[in-house]
This record gives sequence, C-alpha cells and structure tokens, in this order.
Amino acid sequence: MRPILLSGHERALTQVKYTRDGDIIFSVSKDHIVCAWYSANGERLGTYHGHQGALWTVDIDPTTTLLASGGADNTIRLWDVKTGKLLKTWDFGSSIKRVEFSPDGTQLLGVTEKRVGHVSSIVVYDIKQDVEAEQSSEHALRIVVDESKATVAGFSYGAKYIIAGHEDGSVSQFDAKTGELLDTFQAHEPDFSVTDLQWSPDRTYFITASKDKTAKLISASDLALLKTYVTDTPLNSAALTPVKDFVILGGGQAAMDVTTTSARQGKFEARIFHKIFEEEIGRVRGHFGPLNYVAVSPDGKSYCSGGEDGYVRVHHFDRPYFDFLFEVERERANI
Amino acid sequence: MSKPAERTRDWAEEEDEDTLALPQPTVTKNKDGTETIVSYRIDENGKKVKTTRRIKKTIVKQIVNPRVAERKHWAKFGAEKGKPAGPQSDTTSIAENIAFRPTIGFRAGAQEEKSEEQKKAVLKDAKIKCRICSGEHWTSKCPFKDTMAPEGDSGPGLGDLGVDEAPAEGGLGVGGGGYVPPHMRKGGAGAGERMGGKFERDDLATLRVTNVSEFAEEQDLRDMFSRYGRVTRVYLAKDRETGRAKGFAFVSFEDRLDAVKACDKMDGFGFGHLILRVEFAKKST
Repeated sequence: MRPILLSGHERALTQVKYTRDGDIIFSVSKDHIVCAWYSANGERLGTYHGHQGALWTVDIDPTTTLLASGGADNTIRLWDVKTGKLLKTWDFGSSIKRVEFSPDGTQLLGVTEKRVGHVSSIVVYDIKQDVEAEQSSEHALRIVVDESKATVAGFSYGAKYIIAGHEDGSVSQFDAKTGELLDTFQAHEPDFSVTDLQWSPDRTYFITASKDKTAKLISASDLALLKTYVTDTPLNSAALTPVKDFVILGGGQAAMDVTTTSARQGKFEARIFHKIFEEEIGRVRGHFGPLNYVAVSPDGKSYCSGGEDGYVRVHHFDRPYFDFLFEVERERANI
Repeated sequence: MSKPAERTRDWAEEEDEDTLALPQPTVTKNKDGTETIVSYRIDENGKKVKTTRRIKKTIVKQIVNPRVAERKHWAKFGAEKGKPAGPQSDTTSIAENIAFRPTIGFRAGAQEEKSEEQKKAVLKDAKIKCRICSGEHWTSKCPFKDTMAPEGDSGPGLGDLGVDEAPAEGGLGVGGGGYVPPHMRKGGAGAGERMGGKFERDDLATLRVTNVSEFAEEQDLRDMFSRYGRVTRVYLAKDRETGRAKGFAFVSFEDRLDAVKACDKMDGFGFGHLILRVEFAKKST
C-alpha cells in the first residue's frame, strides 16, 4: 500500500470527503481554501477561493454538481464543483461546524456554533440541484439546540431523521420535517464531545467518534447502541468501510495536550477495527499530527485521512485488506 | 489513466550556488520502460537543487461510470488553472510503502512490550550485590552506606595516608592496565584531594530542617534563617510530581557559629501549621 500524499494545504486539515462515485476527494483546512483532488492519482483538479476564515466542513451533493462548505467566517457557501465558481453565500452569527447534504441532495443541513448572543442550531435549506438556479436565502427549518450544543449532524435514510451529536457526548434524533426532538441517547462520556458522525452506506446506522477514546455504532431509527470500539487515544473521526466490515478510526493526542499528559507518543495512526467483532486488526501510520478526519471511498477501495500536519494521505487498499477474514467468516465462506 | 507507480530514487543534491540559470528538465526513456526525469529548481535558501526521478508509468484501464469519465476531463481551475494534466509534483507525491497486514488479535507495540519483558527477565536473573556489604540489595539501599566505604575502596581519609601502588610511569596509568582517575595517579597526587578525605567546606555549617510545611518555599526558609547570619545555600526537597515540598530542607550558613545560633533558636519554631525541627546535618558519604 503506497499512500498518495496531497500537500495542497498550508494548515491543518479539518475534513475530507469523497464524491458518491469515489473519484474526487474534497478537502478543507484552516487555510481558507477548499481543494478538489482526483482520488485515483492524487492530481489536484482545482481550488475554491472565497472564504475568509478557517474552514471546518465540506460536503458534496450526490450528483457531484454542488459543493457546500462552512467555516469560521460564519458562512455556508455553495460552489459549482466543475468550475470553482461561488454560487451562494449564507451568513450566520457564528461559525459553521458541519454541513451535510440529504441523501437525495435536495436539502442542505448546517450546524452553527454556540457563541455569546447566538444559540447552537441546526439549519436546513432547500437546494435546487442546478448550477444556474437561484438558491433560497430562507431556511426551510431551524432547530434550536438548547441544552448542550450540537457539534455534528446528518440526515438519516430518506432524510427521515436528523441525527445530531452533542458536546456532552449525547446523540439526539430530530424529525427532519418538523424539527421535533424525538429521542436522545447518552452515547459517550458526558464530559467528552462527539467529534464525528458518519453514516453506513444505506444510512440506517451511523458511527460516532468521541474524545472519550471510543467510537460507537448506533442505529438511526431507535438510537440503539450496536457496537463499541475502544481505543487508547482521543478520537476525532470514525468511518465505516463498504465491501469489508471494518471501521477506520482516526485521532491522536492533540498538540495542546501533549505537554499535560504523560503519553510517550502521539498515537497518530489510523486504527482499523472489525465492525462486527469490535476487535482491532491493524493500524496505518504515516501522519505526524493527529488525524482530524478519515473518509472512506463509497466503492470501498480506498480511504483518505486529513491530519493536523496539513497533509491528506490517500490509501488504496491492496490484496491483504480484501483477503482478510476472521476464522468464522472463512468457515462460513467455505460452506 | 496513468500514475506513477514506482519511484525508486528521490533525492536532491546541491550544486554550485553561482550558476543560477536553470537547465531545462530532461526526460530520458530507459530500456526497461521507465523514464528518468531530471529537473532543477531553486530552493528557499537560494540553492540550486537537482532532482532525479525514475518513474514507471503503468496504464491502468478501468471501466467507470460515464459521469466519472466525464469528470476526468474537466478543466482545472483555481490555483491549478492552466496547469498540465497529471499530478503536479508540488502538491502530489507518493509516500513510502506501508505494509498493511490485518491480523487477528492485533496489539499495538506488541514487539516493544516483548523487548521490555526480555529486559526485565534479564534483570530478574541478574544477581544484585551491594558494593558495600556484598549483601543482596542495591548499594544505595545498604544499611551501612553511611558508615562504611565501598568494598575494595579505602575509606575516607585512608587515601591520604598514601598506600600508593600507582604505576611508576607518571601521569597516565598505562602500566596498571585499567583506567586510573587523575586524582589517584601518582603524578597528579599533589593536585587531587579526595572529596571525602576532608569535610566539605560547608558541611559543618549546614542545618537539617524537618517537619517543614508542604506549602513552604525556599525563599521563606531563607528569610527565616538569614536573621542569624549569612545563608549560603537553601535546599528544599520537593516532590517531582506535585512540586510541593517534601517536608525537609537543608540550610547552609557561611559561619558555623551562626549555624549554631540558628539551630538553637529555630528548633521548635512554629512555621505554617507545623513546628520545625532543626539539627545539624549528618555527614553523608
């Protein structure tokens, strides 16, 4: 496995995303720029300029025509993927921590940060999937998160629910039509924020990562805890792999905590666990800073990670990855 | 689609700084199907850097969705506008190979732990022998360490009596075979006085202060004791983890008489919530 190193950013990466077809990777970092890369060979397709602050999040619509990004300049921006043209800017009172398109691409969700005078909220916009169309400035839905602020959020299957992860380690389920709070579940330790939430391919369940050093697999319809993956380092991201039943976790000691902990090393490795058996099967090293985000290609053939060190590393899985089976799996395959 | 599948050499070497005109990059086709690309650039220190890369291009045919195929031919934009097709060396590079082998029962640092266990096993087998009394404990834990000198070493003071077996040839102790420290050599006998041979300069004027509050600071002690004379040194033992005082300290005076006075007055003095106990420090080995 020979990783491809993408060094187009000057500061720490915050999120990386694959398109639905897995052919292009979008990366955002604290240097205000969105980059687009071909995943096959690491060639940079282009950059999207316009943001005035650090970027926290990016998402791509299912047809690869529109790109949404949000960041510390308190805006969500919509871009034409092909040309890099800015199509629309939505302004807010506080920074945007997460954007995500609905599975059909007709809605866009944004999570706003809690600041003095501004509550944490989840806003939803209706999106016209046309580069030429005028996008609505009015939000279709706004969910105010009163208790602990939302850090991550996403649409479940059929855009039925909005699932949000909170700073207090809980996960909550909202009705995506009305914004009504349906259920909450204390998934992680109360003092540790949920840092990532990524979906299974069919969006019936999701994985959350938290600073409490665990990642959890939770079902979307009833917020039932399915699996727990325990590691020895604070986690920033967790991704589910299609094709193989694995999960990839990324994290590491944050630079600001290195001096206050007695950890000998930063543990800047991607950890691969078996999704069903909750057992660690390997690690991929390479970054020299914490991993801020890991994303897996929807075709399951590659994954990429964005690190605090400013690099994106794209890994195309090789034979041993696909051949690996647990004993019980092998027995079943032979029957 | 082509991608650099192999790059066996990637090194840079510095050349003359004077010639700033950069030669054109050259591409040589090798017999085995690889290409050697030699390019030049000027690095941030103003030095010319020659980069030689050997690249093997492999054509990987892939049947993809028409959407994906179309996107392959999109024009570049933004910072990449106008750049030729294919990965640019300034943004894209290939990292070193990583062998990823999933294993059941993976344990990080399994090898590290193993080697540490081995080290421990070696230590377990090793016989611990005290250098003072030959007992089975560390020399530093020896109950006689304050009263006896290490075995085979003449105790303090004896050295001065000069039972000299040092080699006849002056300065360097060649003849004896082993290393002889300078103060033991005959040639340097005049210069080297043994530390233990005499009392240390301020040993007689040093007080041991115990039952010190854990919130005490060195400056507090210095202030209290300097009433009785000139204090040359204050040492307050502190816990390495918490940074708090361990409860004892050493205070050295310039004059022994001052130390006697301070010892008298300060013993039983209330400091913080505790009563200090002050006595003359015992001589350490």
